[in-house]
Amino acid sequence: MATANMLLMNPLAPAAAELTTEAPPVEVGLVKAALEGDRDGFGRLYGLYAPLVHGILLARVPRAEVDDLVQDIFLHAFKKLHTLRDSAAFGPWIAMIARNRAIDFHRRTRATVEITDELRGSDKQQSKAAEIMELIRSLPDAYRETLVLRLVEGMTGPEIAERTGLTAASVRVNLHRGMKLLREKLGTTEGL
Amino acid sequence: MNDDYLWDKSGEPDPQIQQLEEILGTLRYQSKPLNLPRRRNYFPLLAIAATVVMALLTGGLWLQLQSPDASISPVAISQPTNPRINPPLSVANKPPAKRNVIVRNNRDRREREEALAAKQQLILALRVASEKLNTAYRRTQTPTQIKNQHKAG
Repeated sequence: MATANMLLMNPLAPAAAELTTEAPPVEVGLVKAALEGDRDGFGRLYGLYAPLVHGILLARVPRAEVDDLVQDIFLHAFKKLHTLRDSAAFGPWIAMIARNRAIDFHRRTRATVEITDELRGSDKQQSKAAEIMELIRSLPDAYRETLVLRLVEGMTGPEIAERTGLTAASVRVNLHRGMKLLREKLGTTEGL
Repeated sequence: MNDDYLWDKSGEPDPQIQQLEEILGTLRYQSKPLNLPRRRNYFPLLAIAATVVMALLTGGLWLQLQSPDASISPVAISQPTNPRINPPLSVANKPPAKRNVIVRNNRDRREREEALAAKQQLILALRVASEKLNTAYRRTQTPTQIKNQHKAG
């Protein structure tokens, strides 16, 4: 299962080739502008990709840490933008940075610092959301990421595929299987 | 289960997915401005350093020109009273050779001392300028603090 997940999440999957055959993505121009010192260009990249990074992090780290990590990741990306070889692959690149940062976070953080505070939401709706997020986080990596991007960030499947560099087929499978698992888990709890 | 709605929100909406979207939507990303580090402007530092270096070099050069050695210039040498030019020897007005040697030695020593002093001034000026440049360089190389590092570890 883990190997299958890794394959499904491989950002070097043929989706990138599919994207490049279409109209040149807006990221290419923005990355170029940012590399030439245009801070507004990078600001637009941030606006485009912050929800993606937010969703990837939300699927992996406690919610209280997500906003700060999003900022850190974009600051890191701003400094290391010159290392990006293919401007069209900004999405997969920053998605990978976000995944690695989430792994680093868990390496550095003790197991005791967990999401206990999240369960105490300010209202019933947020408390329920935190509970469902817990269930989603218990799913395999590939499923939880696509589910969070779809259900929390409100992206469609094609958008997820385009931003992450995954193939549309992979995203579709991840959504389908992830949703099936989530329904099972919701069924075993109280339900919605 | 309606896969189309899950895939691209088309087709007949799935009530359970809609409910999940509604609940989980509260966790959605809230737009926040990105605080990029301010770009450092090196020009004022470099301009100050360059001005200091120029001022020191000019001052050193001016001091050197103002020193008594300035009289030992091609113009001065051309004057008939210049002691470097040995006057024509005559039997009646022949200066004592010993005295000439002492005067020449004194002059040589003074010239050496003044040259040494000028050299020291120049070295000092270069050292100060170098220190200024090093300080400016160190300031420009100060790493940006990573926010919220305490939370990460």
